[in-house]
Amino acid sequence: MIDAAAIHDRFRERGFIVDEAFATALQIMLALEKPLLIEGPAGVGKTESAKVLAEVLGTELIRLQCYEGLDAMAALYEWNYPRQMLHARLSEAEGSSLDEREAYMFSEKFLLKRPLLDAITRDRSPVLLVDEVDRADEAFEAFLLEVLAEWQVTIPELGTIRARHKPHVILTSNRTRELSDALRRRCLFVWIPYPSLAQEIEILHARVPGLSDRLAQQIAQIMQALRGLPLQKAPGVAESLDWAMALMSLHREHLDAPTLERTLGCVLKVHEDRGVMHAHHAALDPILGDVPANLESGGYSLDTDFGFGSVSAPRR
Amino acid sequence: MYPFASLPENLAAFCEALRREDGFRIGPGELHDAARALDVVDLANERAIRHALRPILAGTLDDVTVFDDAFTRFFFPGPAGVRQDQLPSTRREPGTDAEGRDSDADHARHARRSGADADDVSGRGSGPMIPIQSSEGLEEPTMFAASSYSPLDANASDAPELPRIEQAWCDAARLFVRRLHLGLSRRWRPASRGRRFDLRRTLRAGLQTGGEALSARWLRRPHHAPRIVLLVDGSRSMSAYTRTTLTIAVALASATMRVEVFTFSTRLQRVTADVRRAAAGELRRLDRLHHAWAGGTTIGACLRDFLRRFGERMVGRDTVVMIASDGLDVGVPDMLRDAMRELHRRSAAVVWLNPLLETEGYEPTAAGMKAARPHVTTFTNVSDQAGLVRLSRMVRLRA
Repeated sequence: MIDAAAIHDRFRERGFIVDEAFATALQIMLALEKPLLIEGPAGVGKTESAKVLAEVLGTELIRLQCYEGLDAMAALYEWNYPRQMLHARLSEAEGSSLDEREAYMFSEKFLLKRPLLDAITRDRSPVLLVDEVDRADEAFEAFLLEVLAEWQVTIPELGTIRARHKPHVILTSNRTRELSDALRRRCLFVWIPYPSLAQEIEILHARVPGLSDRLAQQIAQIMQALRGLPLQKAPGVAESLDWAMALMSLHREHLDAPTLERTLGCVLKVHEDRGVMHAHHAALDPILGDVPANLESGGYSLDTDFGFGSVSAPRR
Repeated sequence: MYPFASLPENLAAFCEALRREDGFRIGPGELHDAARALDVVDLANERAIRHALRPILAGTLDDVTVFDDAFTRFFFPGPAGVRQDQLPSTRREPGTDAEGRDSDADHARHARRSGADADDVSGRGSGPMIPIQSSEGLEEPTMFAASSYSPLDANASDAPELPRIEQAWCDAARLFVRRLHLGLSRRWRPASRGRRFDLRRTLRAGLQTGGEALSARWLRRPHHAPRIVLLVDGSRSMSAYTRTTLTIAVALASATMRVEVFTFSTRLQRVTADVRRAAAGELRRLDRLHHAWAGGTTIGACLRDFLRRFGERMVGRDTVVMIASDGLDVGVPDMLRDAMRELHRRSAAVVWLNPLLETEGYEPTAAGMKAARPHVTTFTNVSDQAGLVRLSRMVRLRA
């Protein structure tokens, strides 16, 4: 049995910072053997947490990506009909009895396991990630409930298959539609908010080695400020990491207004949001710090400056 | 000092309090899980207990936002900074019921719930548990405060009644919902004739005919029914028309579960639950509307509020947004324009039902209507059952 502090440490070793609430939720989930429903804004690491959990537990991750139109067959199992038919034709000449052939044709060899069946027939409990469950339709949700409650699957030709080991189930949702109360009741629920400033700096350092303290600080501060603006799509942690990588590859030691402008595509993904950001630039300017905003007009042409080193321009 | 002497009793009392005062849905299963969870965590660590109970007892984001308060109120009553053992004992004997605070409980719950909603609004920058002072968070209350003293605002006593609907309206709504479709769903359904061959079913059916697949089985894609969001303007200028719009709302609720109903004037209110119950035949008044009825209208602010609080969940590419309003707006036209643009961008269609269209020679020249018009896909009016059926053909959906 691992406790919350151990979960925190082991996640941290793998570059994933969990707060105390989430770590405790994971601990409870493992202890109670109940599915954990994770909701939160896009890009806070909901899916990633399942991957890291699988690593921490030293087990496999089985992922069921939900989409509209996902049905029981695609999630559970399917007989390999072409192979069965081929086998039937080829084995006609053989002397084996009908029963033998039938038993063989409906054996596991001809069964295509889809994620849910796969998850309950493993020798060790895997981590089953049901990703973006809100994208599947209501009918699938009802079916999922049944599997999550019983942990058994009935295949008419083979009989009932019971889970040898209950998988650790993580469901994620982006809240594009309301999930049913029934599904919520079967699950533990945790909301992952955007990280705090200190957490985000910690995440940046953990995931982007070699990032300077100042740059991490600036990125995190700008992200916090941006998330407070009325943007259509607020940037998540994934965006922070992308941005940090981008700035590292551009060899920037700190952020200033021109650099922000040029790398904005890493952060804001909707065109209108640029306008919103520019309208609120007063909130961002203090973070960009000691580089004056009028540098653009006072020094040199920005487009010819590759990496600040090649241009002799007055700088402070 | 905890109310009871033993842990399970305290836990049960806490769950009871959450159920009664905050409307949590907690059953014996959750209680059992909570007790098991307390076995796992360190009982001396208050934070750990909070974090352990929260995932079990709180099922939604709304629940999460009120959970911590409720926890503090129950286990640490009294002012902050006072040691627990110095407080007067509130210990009760097991078996005696908690004091009857039921009359206040409902009010308190609504107050806290609306507080939670406000958090939801401003909480995009930070966690729901951390109260933050974002500029938007401050903006909302002032907006409401200003409107509460508006001369346009009327008394809330004349609560509108949800009309009982006739069968003809039900039929019209059912027809409307059936005809309104967004092309084909992604799901394959068995059907007698279809586009795709169903090997599995064909082979199974073949069992009856001695293993030879004689009769073919098919799959086809069913029509994809959209979700509907109906926003009803409850301002005084609409009063002659509200009965019809509410009838439409109830009729739609009787025809499909995929409908959400809101009323707005100076603020937005979700009335889906009331409308559903009215559709089930219950006589209901919309008595919880505070400022949302018979006042002036700030459509833009209300739509923006709607998008913030519910937009993510309720407006998608499969949603038809229907706004029933005369477009006489006392708010800022720019705000209305932005909200309408966003609604249009995210939904399958935006229908604006405007009763003034019945008036001879009406042109949408009011500032609000003018701002909204470019982002409306269908601009019309529905006054009777036939009109509702006709509307299904007029709505142009972007599938």
